[in-house]
Amino acid sequence: MITKKLIERIEGEASVYFKMKADKVDFASIVFPHFRGMEQILEGKNGLDALVITPRVCGICGHAHLMATVRALEDAYKKSGFRVEISQKAKSIREFTLIMEMIQNHIKWFYMVAAPELDKLLGMEHTSKPLKGAYVASLAAKAIAVFGGQWPHSSYMVPGGVTSDPTYIEILQAKSIVDDLIAFFEKESLGVSIEKFLSFESCKEFNGISSDISLFEEKLIQAGMHQKGFAHDNFLVMGEHSFSKATKLKHTRPYSVDVKYISTQDAYVENSQESYAKNALYKDSYYESGPLARLMASSFGMVKNMHRRYKDSAYSRSMAKVFEVATLLVAAKKLLESIDISEKSVASMVAIENVTAEGIGIVEAPRGPLIHKVTLKDGTISDFTIITPTQFNIGSSSREKPTPVQEAMKGNTQQEALFIFRTFDVCSVCTTH
Amino acid sequence: MRSKQSNKPKLLWIQGVTCNGNSHSFLNLPSLERLLDSFELLYHPTITTKYSLEDITECKIASDIVIFEGTYDPKMKRNDISIEKLLHFYAKNAKYIIAAGSCASFGGMFKAVSPERNSGILFNEEQKSGPLCSLEKKVVNLSGCPIHPEWMAYVLEMIAIDREIVLDELHRPVELYSNLAHHGCTRNEYFEWKVDTKGFGFKEGCLFYEQGCRAPMTHASCNKILWNEVSSKTRIGTPCFGCTEPGFPRRNLFRTQTNMSIPQDVPLGVPKRSYLTMTGIAKTFHIKRLEGKLIDYKKTH
Amino acid sequence: MARITKEERKQGIISAALKLFSERGFYITTIPDIAQKVGMSVGNFYNYFKSKDILAKELVIYISEYLGAEIRQINERDITTQEKISEIVSMYFDMAEEKPEMIEYFLRVYLSNREVFSEGCEGMICVSAFVTEMMMFFDDGVAKGDLRNQDFFSAFGLFMGYLGGMVFLFGEKILPEPLEWYKKSISQNIYHALKAE
Repeated sequence: MITKKLIERIEGEASVYFKMKADKVDFASIVFPHFRGMEQILEGKNGLDALVITPRVCGICGHAHLMATVRALEDAYKKSGFRVEISQKAKSIREFTLIMEMIQNHIKWFYMVAAPELDKLLGMEHTSKPLKGAYVASLAAKAIAVFGGQWPHSSYMVPGGVTSDPTYIEILQAKSIVDDLIAFFEKESLGVSIEKFLSFESCKEFNGISSDISLFEEKLIQAGMHQKGFAHDNFLVMGEHSFSKATKLKHTRPYSVDVKYISTQDAYVENSQESYAKNALYKDSYYESGPLARLMASSFGMVKNMHRRYKDSAYSRSMAKVFEVATLLVAAKKLLESIDISEKSVASMVAIENVTAEGIGIVEAPRGPLIHKVTLKDGTISDFTIITPTQFNIGSSSREKPTPVQEAMKGNTQQEALFIFRTFDVCSVCTTH
Repeated sequence: MRSKQSNKPKLLWIQGVTCNGNSHSFLNLPSLERLLDSFELLYHPTITTKYSLEDITECKIASDIVIFEGTYDPKMKRNDISIEKLLHFYAKNAKYIIAAGSCASFGGMFKAVSPERNSGILFNEEQKSGPLCSLEKKVVNLSGCPIHPEWMAYVLEMIAIDREIVLDELHRPVELYSNLAHHGCTRNEYFEWKVDTKGFGFKEGCLFYEQGCRAPMTHASCNKILWNEVSSKTRIGTPCFGCTEPGFPRRNLFRTQTNMSIPQDVPLGVPKRSYLTMTGIAKTFHIKRLEGKLIDYKKTH
Repeated sequence: MARITKEERKQGIISAALKLFSERGFYITTIPDIAQKVGMSVGNFYNYFKSKDILAKELVIYISEYLGAEIRQINERDITTQEKISEIVSMYFDMAEEKPEMIEYFLRVYLSNREVFSEGCEGMICVSAFVTEMMMFFDDGVAKGDLRNQDFFSAFGLFMGYLGGMVFLFGEKILPEPLEWYKKSISQNIYHALKAE
């Protein structure tokens, strides 16, 4: 018998179709019901208009789309034979705002989705305030606005750099906001300083600390999540940033990657419901992407230890998001300190009408690799393809070759499976775009 | 026994075709918790509420205030229930219906998904031909892509204190949409003396003449109520895209449409002749201070 | 007997000045010359124009406003862009024939003696009434899809340089035919050079 469960608050919805064996999930398929056709909307438009259109694929990770688009356009410029020399200042500013969006995303996931859902799973009353997460996230958004003008939906990245030309007033303003963020994160979320936290050998060191995250960690163990929710233990990182290295991991072994091995295929749903999603694969296999993948690839000590004990369980996946907030806050501060305001904001570029080429832009969005492929003919878009991270994590395929989330949900109760589903941090609007 | 809750107006946030941008912008409101305390929040797509989406689609509870985010597509379904049915039920029983964002106000970015049937809840671009025409007296349009959280806070607070919200002909609150995005831009002096910025990435220069800035033609408070309390697009060198107006999204957004170097569109309400005369005169003068760098870092004393 | 208004007096000075500048030359003509032609005292003259330089600038503005008004009338007529070009050329050439002192002043005094006008007539401020109307014409032509979109000065230079050049040649008595005769071909040339593909 197949039971259908609606999942909401995943930047939209999805339906999970469970095939049960007694009270455990035998197999699950996922259907994403909504489709907008952003790729068609982009066709025929001036290449620069994509900088305004693609952020509107998603309200929570639109900034990542902006960066993927600008990278794709710059790649097209290069392939047309033009030099693209972005100053270190522009690179740092772009990276900083991308990191802030990622932090905002993970905080919201933690406070507004994961923590309440975990309490629900354990049958506990949820006492913490989800809106706390909204407040902290708004600080990260504010930091973006210092350079990007606003969040959500900034379009401040243009081919060659960024439109903003900050003084130290803006740099100090951003620094002050990041300090506020860190203060809150340390006091409320972690319970210890970030330095101390990043020096932990394992989560055992949370013992004796009372904080939102330490409580969450305890509850994850209580719910047995360290022994559940295993996917294929393969990881994929495609975006090159100061905080991530493009690499693929089969368990812990790293391999190099090339975007040409990425492919998509229509989602397969057992009882033939129509899903608008496409699964994303690397060399025809399914890989998990996102914070856990990135931290595994960066050989971060605590995560390696955690993985040794708990592999790619729902526990590891969840805690990785917390770890990543901490590492990103440190990275953000470093970036701010490195900015040399005397450098150019935008390298002079020829008009986009001179560009006829195909360009690819890859960034690490909060949930994993985001890829934009644009084909320009005299600066006009003739083709645009978007592949989002949720397509890697939350594909829907057959029993013989399950996707990461399908593998992770197997063998658990429905309630557990639904929580495990959420540990992947799903974005419905991005998946189908 | 009547709980304190039952005296508060009921608030419901539902969506059509959306990116969730307005929801996330709303979450940035500094006074969010305090604001929501004045209402009984029945449902929101991101905030955990008493009712789930499944409950809401059963159409059993009415709400006093309905916020609709996203383009209206009658064929779209949430939890297998059509948006047409959902909107019809909730709008009929509400006192106020607020369109959150340009998609819900005019059709916006996602009208292009199905141009023949998609629209805003009251307006289809500039035409009043949306599904809520018969209920137009209840509709407030907060256009913008996304909306600024303070704009939503303004409407909700005005409702909470039972004050009439005066609306313009596009059903937008006049107190929020009478200013132009141009009012308060830090580059105003460059606009006055017609000093264009050449390309992007400079503190100096106005973005109107070449970089496509729509601020002098766009009704919005963006340079009055700053974004995220700190900034705005034009202040950091990005042109205004005119997202609060029915024509959004336009095309060729980063370039000013000119006819023989003359801007096709001139500031709202200003006759073209007047604008050209003023511009011609201003462009004659070369004000050294305005043509050089704003900040001279090499100055030593 | 009706009293002559100040405005009419002023107009009288302007006409007289233009005629004298045209007949005798700008530098040779003096204020007393002009005052005598109008029939007023030099002292009274200075009530209308404080100096020869100020008079010189006012004359440019006057001619510019005159031309501007004529072009505006053409702009506001419900005719095609091609017809508007013919009308503008026709008006300009008619003016050159019937009121030669006006266009001549513009070409031979204003354009050729920049030092007189450097202060107070910087750039195009004194001719703004005329330039604005040409801008309105171009803007409308491109918006309608009749004219090719290009840089303003490229188009303006083509149109006005051409007309000015023809009138200059006419003034030098080089043209074998009357200006009237060239209207059609010149309008055609301008239209074909500026029209959209």
